[in-house]
Amino acid sequence: MTLMPDRLALALERAWTGWRGERRNHGNVDHGFQLDLPVQKHWGGRVAFYLFLGGTGGGFVFLEIVLRWLGVLGTATAAWGMWIGLALAFLSLLAIFDHLGPVARWRFLYAFRRPRQSWISRGVMIVSVLVLLRLVVALPTVPGAEGLPWADGSILGDGLRLLVLGFALAFVIYSGLVISSWNAIAFWNSALVPVLFVGFSFLGGLAALPVIAWLADGLTAMEQVGDAIWPIVLALIAGDAIVLALYLHGMSTATRPARVSVGMILRGAERRRFVGGVVTLGLLIPAVVVTLETIGSLGTGTGAALLLVGAVAAVQAGGYFLRDTILRAGVYGPPV
Amino acid sequence: MTRMGFSIDLERCVGCQACVIACKTENGTPRNIHWMRVLEKEEGAFPDARRSFTPVRCNHCANPPCVAACPTGAFVQRADGVVVVNESVCVGTMACLTACPYYVPARYDGGDGYFGKKLTMYEEAKYSNFREGTAQKCHFCYPRLDEGRPPACVEACPADALNYGDLDDPESPINIELQRRRHFRPREELGTDPSTYYLVGKGGGPAVGVS
Repeated sequence: MTLMPDRLALALERAWTGWRGERRNHGNVDHGFQLDLPVQKHWGGRVAFYLFLGGTGGGFVFLEIVLRWLGVLGTATAAWGMWIGLALAFLSLLAIFDHLGPVARWRFLYAFRRPRQSWISRGVMIVSVLVLLRLVVALPTVPGAEGLPWADGSILGDGLRLLVLGFALAFVIYSGLVISSWNAIAFWNSALVPVLFVGFSFLGGLAALPVIAWLADGLTAMEQVGDAIWPIVLALIAGDAIVLALYLHGMSTATRPARVSVGMILRGAERRRFVGGVVTLGLLIPAVVVTLETIGSLGTGTGAALLLVGAVAAVQAGGYFLRDTILRAGVYGPPV
Repeated sequence: MTRMGFSIDLERCVGCQACVIACKTENGTPRNIHWMRVLEKEEGAFPDARRSFTPVRCNHCANPPCVAACPTGAFVQRADGVVVVNESVCVGTMACLTACPYYVPARYDGGDGYFGKKLTMYEEAKYSNFREGTAQKCHFCYPRLDEGRPPACVEACPADALNYGDLDDPESPINIELQRRRHFRPREELGTDPSTYYLVGKGGGPAVGVS
């Protein structure tokens, strides 16, 4: 028995894709007739967006809860953080939904069937529970719902936050494991991929927190939170850069498909995305701005804060480009 | 137990693509999607240049990564080892494409036929067998197997380069052929335990099996 009749799925599909008039075409593969090393083209921007939003959102949620318990973040900042983290996780679900097969996507509940064997299934399960838990935890901040028994400071509330913490961490780790768990694409099949994704997830999540503090509590709160956070952000940027260099070096001495992938990134089709997006936007620009802030040379006031917001935006863009570049540079080995 | 396997004689394949056409005709796969392909490679340089041909298709692995990767259970291994797609539960994650080291599955997203937007009667009839947005791949022509007939590609090969049979039966033609000839399996090192064997080297007498 199917979960949804085809006719209903088709009507829903028209509503989903109708606003942009999209009609996808043919197969999603490049079934050529030459014996070579095919580049994967089926997991692109949408999956990268899912991995980025899910990973960064998870990192953000995790750090927001930890830093709140440590007293670094105020109540208002934490409340804003909760809702933004929820929105990011929800957006990541929308991105992966859009990636699914046209018409077939309306049977998406089937994706929950195989958590014991499929990483995709585990991922959708983790992110769905995370969104639901996050929603439940955030409810007491809604006017009129303050009396709920898991409000801020209650034992039940702390228990729920602990659960959220666990699921957020699980999703951050999953976002790297999902592509490194298969050996079909050598460039992805590295233990450093999850490390890299976790590092960039925490970097994206942590860097966003001072900006949230500005939105929630004003410029002074941003400066206070920033004093504690910017040095850690700087350390994370350095750590991520080292892991990225190690990863690329390791892959450049690995099998031929992996070497082709590295070539694509450093000299080929993905060079601009990598050098401009990952290195310059994601690492260099934030490193310079945050270093200046840490040593006190950036100054104070709205101008300096806006520069930091720009650096945070660059970190986020770098996080997206990292996932996108790694996905696009996925090269299969020869089939024989 | 039965485990269906496939052998491809690389010495006999002449690259005529008859298997590709037979597969297309039998299964009516959509434009750009090929369940059977004969890959070409140019080797050497003039005057010693040559083209080699390597037929590839789903290897119906005993340890199929597509089955493990699929979150919905749409990829199913039959009792005879043939891996098939249950389109009614596939949601089109394309995890199978990512997991398959042979780059075999494809997702059909609808669209034009071979002659433009208007599908021919043949295309309309055949494409209606496929659900939009779901994965598809070679199914070893299991409807033909169940009737005791060979897969379409095997039947069409004019050079007897393709063969099939039960790998668990020591007396099956494919096993006799494997005992006589040097062979290898594609990307065995990845642990997929593929059911396809490539026969290499001269000799071995006439082809054994269904022709």
